[in-house]
Amino acid sequence: MDGPDVGWYLIVAAILFGIGALGVMLRRSPLIVLLSLEIMLNAANLTLIAFARQQGDLDGQIFALAVMAVAAAEVAIGLGLIVAMARRRMLLDVDQASALRG
Amino acid sequence: MIGAWVCLLSPLVGAVAITLAGGRISRRTAGWISTLTTFVAFGGALVAFFGLWAADPADREQVSTAYTWLESGDFQVELQILLDTLSSTMMLIVSGVGGLIVWYSMGYLAGDDEERRYFAYISLFVFSMLLLVQAGNFLLLLVGWGLVGLASYLLIGFWHHKPEAVAAAKKAFVMNAIGDATLALGLVLLIWETGTLTYLGVFEDVDELSTTTVNLVALGLLGGAVAKSAQIPLHTWLPDAMEGPTPVSALIHAATMVTAGVYLLVRASPIFEAAPDVQHLAAILGAITLLVAGVVALVQWDIKRVIAYSTMSQIGYMFLAAGIGAYGYAIFHLMTHAFFKALLFMSAGLVIHHLGGEQDIRKMGGLKSVMPRTHIAFLAGALSLAGIPIFAGFWSKDGIVAAAFASGDALGYTLYAAGLIGALLTGLYTFRLYFAVFRGEPSELVREHTHEGHGEGPMSMLVPVGVLSVLATIGGLVVIPGVWEPFLHWIDETAEPLVHATVAEDYGTSAIAVSLGLIGFFLARRAFHAGRQLVTSPGVWRVLEHKLYFDEAYDALFYRPAAALSVALRRNVEEPVVERSLDEIGAGTIQIGGEVARVQSGLLRTYAVAIAFAVCVLVVVFVAVR
Repeated sequence: MDGPDVGWYLIVAAILFGIGALGVMLRRSPLIVLLSLEIMLNAANLTLIAFARQQGDLDGQIFALAVMAVAAAEVAIGLGLIVAMARRRMLLDVDQASALRG
Repeated sequence: MIGAWVCLLSPLVGAVAITLAGGRISRRTAGWISTLTTFVAFGGALVAFFGLWAADPADREQVSTAYTWLESGDFQVELQILLDTLSSTMMLIVSGVGGLIVWYSMGYLAGDDEERRYFAYISLFVFSMLLLVQAGNFLLLLVGWGLVGLASYLLIGFWHHKPEAVAAAKKAFVMNAIGDATLALGLVLLIWETGTLTYLGVFEDVDELSTTTVNLVALGLLGGAVAKSAQIPLHTWLPDAMEGPTPVSALIHAATMVTAGVYLLVRASPIFEAAPDVQHLAAILGAITLLVAGVVALVQWDIKRVIAYSTMSQIGYMFLAAGIGAYGYAIFHLMTHAFFKALLFMSAGLVIHHLGGEQDIRKMGGLKSVMPRTHIAFLAGALSLAGIPIFAGFWSKDGIVAAAFASGDALGYTLYAAGLIGALLTGLYTFRLYFAVFRGEPSELVREHTHEGHGEGPMSMLVPVGVLSVLATIGGLVVIPGVWEPFLHWIDETAEPLVHATVAEDYGTSAIAVSLGLIGFFLARRAFHAGRQLVTSPGVWRVLEHKLYFDEAYDALFYRPAAALSVALRRNVEEPVVERSLDEIGAGTIQIGGEVARVQSGLLRTYAVAIAFAVCVLVVVFVAVR
């Protein structure tokens, strides 16, 4: 296999995943939260492709394509929600959207 | 065998057709469907009977299996019917008398709001009764046994707007359930010990069973028979069952269902012969019932109740016969009783119909001139019941009493004496009823209901009564002791009798029994003309009027303790323990739910942190466990 060892890819993916997770947990703007989610998904994609390359088959790559499709759909809904919130002049702050509190 | 299957299924087809058609057919059509399907069943029974008649005597036990109904390991039950001399005779009685009575009900119930329901029920009953007598194994017999109980319940309570009818239906069902339970327990014991329920299989194995087992099985069967046939101590439901329509009383509570117990005693005779003590118990219960019911019938005022007590008394004779092993005479009396008792009920029905529903004999009288044809029919039934020569009841009842004499020893002579006293009582209560209803001057009520050109009833009622009058008169001529006994030989092929009365014993007994019956007649006549009652002592009268306090005793022994126990359980267990603990479980759940709901903060980021934390924990766990 050409290029760096699979371990390097995993380290990069872990760093990306950590950044994304921190973004989701710490930031309050829904836009940033969505972006951080995307970063987490792509970290997962990176591991899938790295292992697919290592194994020499296409399954992992196909799976990564499927994840991208789902991510696109999720972003479409997420952005739609944010636009709807903005139109109602709600604060764009995930901590304020807590109507489902028990 | 095709005849037997047609006989069995035709009434079922009728019941289903009437039920499915519902309001789309007229009431009259429903009546005709029910009548015709029952007569088709009679035709099938005739075909089966003559087929059997023509068959070789060695081949007169034919089993026909439709399919295997239940299978469990080695044990299997098939949907099968048994055609032998006994079942073919019962098929003829049930479908023949049944057809006449269903026809009669078309006239009796004309104008009732719910005739269609009635005819569906009665077709169901005829099917169930045929299933009971044709079943090829004990389980199918039990199915028929339960179904006739259901049909009886439905028909007693047919006029459900009358509280007494509903109460009587419930009482009949509960009393019968006791018998059904003991019968079922007996069958379970049979499965356990022999592994089969077919008649032929059980009767082959019965000699190998221990005495205790046979006695228990026989007691179970006897319990079922006693409840179904209204014998003491499970007899109290039958008089109350007279709340149902009169044709129902004629068909179910006189001619067919209540005699199912006798059929069971004869059908299972090998089991009872292996348990002679239980068989004698059946005879003793029969003797007690025939005396008690005969005495109580002396003081009843309701025309149908008098006949109902007489039914109990006559079934007592049949139990007596089956208990001493005179199976042929038991079935013979069953047949003649079906004729004359159905006839008595149906002529009583004509009277009740004519008088606009009145059943109290104190308000009747002098109907002879008003209803001459009904009078003749009732008289034929009464003479047959009292055992006056050439009438059907004479041949069968005297045969039973003579067989009791022939069985010898102390038990036999006691039963003989009971049978003779019963003959006297029969004459007394029968003619007390006859004189009170038909003789004397027409009473006020009778005059009120008599108009010019008002017939005795519609043709559909008069024709069956006429046919039964003929049968009640000459139907007993199939057994003339010492001369011509084809009926007895026919039944003997299925159930070999244990006793044979000699011709001298037969005619000697007849002479005594007939004289006693005639004495009863003359006493009743004298009392009637003197305006006296048959029972003059007020103390005895009161005891008899309360039917020897059986109902009161059961009320005090079973109902009241059970009711008190239920109330106590409700107050001390149900309310404080069960209900309150349920309340507390509910309150606790609500409280826990409230606590848990607080975790649901609505803060998205908290959820994300919780998920991340959970993932970390899982990772640690997986790594550590591996």
